[in-house]
Amino acid sequence: MAGCASHEISDEEAKRMIGSKFLRTVSTLAEFELRKLRHDSSEIFIRGVQPALWLLVFGTALTSIRAIDVGSFTYLQFLTPGVLSQSVMFVAVFYGIMLVWERDLGLLNKLLSTPAPRSAIVLGKAISAGVRGIFQAIVVFVLALIINVQLSLNPLDLIGVALVIVIAGMCFSCLSMCLAPIFKSREKMMGIGQAITMPLFFTSSAIYPINQMPGWLQIISAYNPLSYITDAMRALLLPGYVSNIPLDLGAGLLATAIFATIATILFRRILE
Amino acid sequence: MKAVEAMDLTKMYSDFKAVDSISFDVDEGQIFGLLGPNGAGKTTTIRIALTLIRPTSGTIKVFGIDCVKSAASVRQISGYVPQEVSIDTDLSGYENLLMYSKLYYTPKEQRGQRIQDALEYMELADRQHDLAKTYSGGMMRRLEIAQALMNRPRMLFLDEPSIGLDPSAKTAVWNQIMHLRDEFGTTMLVTTHDMHEAEVLCDEIAIMNKGKIVADGSPTQLKDDMGGDMISITAHDGDCSLILREHGQLLVSKPDEGTYELVVAQGEKAIPAVLESLEAHKIHVESVSLKKSTLDDVFLKYAGARIQDGGTWRDARVTRLAMRKRKG
Ligand SMILES: Nc1ncnc2c1ncn2[C@@H]1O[C@H](COP(=O)(O)OP(=O)(O)OP(=O)(O)O)[C@@H](O)[C@H]1O
Ligand SMILES: [Mg+2]
Repeated sequence: MAGCASHEISDEEAKRMIGSKFLRTVSTLAEFELRKLRHDSSEIFIRGVQPALWLLVFGTALTSIRAIDVGSFTYLQFLTPGVLSQSVMFVAVFYGIMLVWERDLGLLNKLLSTPAPRSAIVLGKAISAGVRGIFQAIVVFVLALIINVQLSLNPLDLIGVALVIVIAGMCFSCLSMCLAPIFKSREKMMGIGQAITMPLFFTSSAIYPINQMPGWLQIISAYNPLSYITDAMRALLLPGYVSNIPLDLGAGLLATAIFATIATILFRRILE
Repeated sequence: MKAVEAMDLTKMYSDFKAVDSISFDVDEGQIFGLLGPNGAGKTTTIRIALTLIRPTSGTIKVFGIDCVKSAASVRQISGYVPQEVSIDTDLSGYENLLMYSKLYYTPKEQRGQRIQDALEYMELADRQHDLAKTYSGGMMRRLEIAQALMNRPRMLFLDEPSIGLDPSAKTAVWNQIMHLRDEFGTTMLVTTHDMHEAEVLCDEIAIMNKGKIVADGSPTQLKDDMGGDMISITAHDGDCSLILREHGQLLVSKPDEGTYELVVAQGEKAIPAVLESLEAHKIHVESVSLKKSTLDDVFLKYAGARIQDGGTWRDARVTRLAMRKRKG
């Protein structure tokens, strides 16, 4: 074990290899997230309860009341992509709480003692959130099919949805990883998680169309990444729904890039 | 080259000095112990060396590499066993190792062999595919050490390696640590509260208290600095004080009661000589007892408090384990 004397050149080498190291770190973190899911997927079903209530209770009730005008679609059709993106957001926001949890144990210290670049760790965790989000969304999607919501089953559309979900998972996990180094304690982060998810949900287009919102809410909604995520999903899942998908994806990616950068910069603070 | 070289290292948390301008160095191939009570600054020192936190001032180098300027290179040659539970209990033992061998960019062809070696070595091979949450505390600790070996580190940092373990698990961990030094020449920095552990494991010790290093040297040196061991003698055939003074410092001399207390450098070696010269003067010795000076005495002398007063470290680890298990 004494024999690895590669350190004299490794500064030079490190620069050359940084790209490949970055990708390897990201894919390793995502791989082991998948393995954890394989060992125990019960959490995904437990977390499926809340979206199920939104669809079964709220969705069916409002469909029959017809209180919200969603054009040619049924309200359940309109709501399903909203609940899908909400469920992914809830999963993703948990990653900031988990970061604090892992800090309190020794996991994060251990992870940060490897040569992996900080930014790759942030991105790896963000992709993990996306991966978990896909599985979470499958549960909600299957449920929606069971209660006979008409959704597009075109494979290309579904691949598009998966991509949107990964972006959503990355976006909201990075947001919560920005907050973790600021609030630092698990209790505070739990509270923050609640305090950001509900407002994000209610000020987005997830449960009502933007054009029917009061003016002030429309403005907020336009700055809410969840609106864009939901819109992109609607455009992919509801045949005939019009939305500017490139704009939606661009907005989602921009928000992700901003949050990921801030999270990486603040990351070191979580250990202090 | 020194394995670790710290110069005037200081870490401030707002205006509290967790580490107060300490300097020390660790020779290659040594087990170096940082010994101190709760809050001494041991973990903080290790975290600075591992580039997890930045020092407020001063420098620290690992095998000549600066921990602030070339953080990634230091991390590539270092291994770390944190004080807290650091394995992922939602993964199997094998997966915990595989994950770290990947995070250290171990070439694919070498991964399998390294993992199996580490599992054999830490006696975990038969349980490698069980989820780590089903492991005992001792197994978790051994898995953590195995994990830290994935990059074949030149420098291994162990933060309270035997914390919360029962005596037999503790001994097993100690043996494995010493084996690492003897067989692979791995240099190690170990922190501990436990005097006995420091004595068994360490070639060199620095005693830390309130952020400062208050004494350092080999365990024997430190104990010798105390003036050595105490021999108590009972003998009633006249006054022995003159004879005893030739062997060391006579602390207590009560010829009327026949009791004497003598301080010598190395008790075991001094006793036969003392007995011989008393016998030569036809003095019959009724009893002899030896009280070795311990590192605890050393600590008492330098830090003005017994180390056991520290408190609840064991509870901390146990609570963390419990938390972790509940979550899983
Ligand atoms: N993030 C932090 N913010 C403020 N103070 C801190 C922080 N981390 C450590 N300290 C303080 O620095 C001091 C040294 O802590 P450190 O963890 O290094 O001690 P230690 O010797 O490892 O103790 P223990 O035996 O309990 O592990 C303690 O008083 C601790 O409260
Ligand atoms: Mg400590």
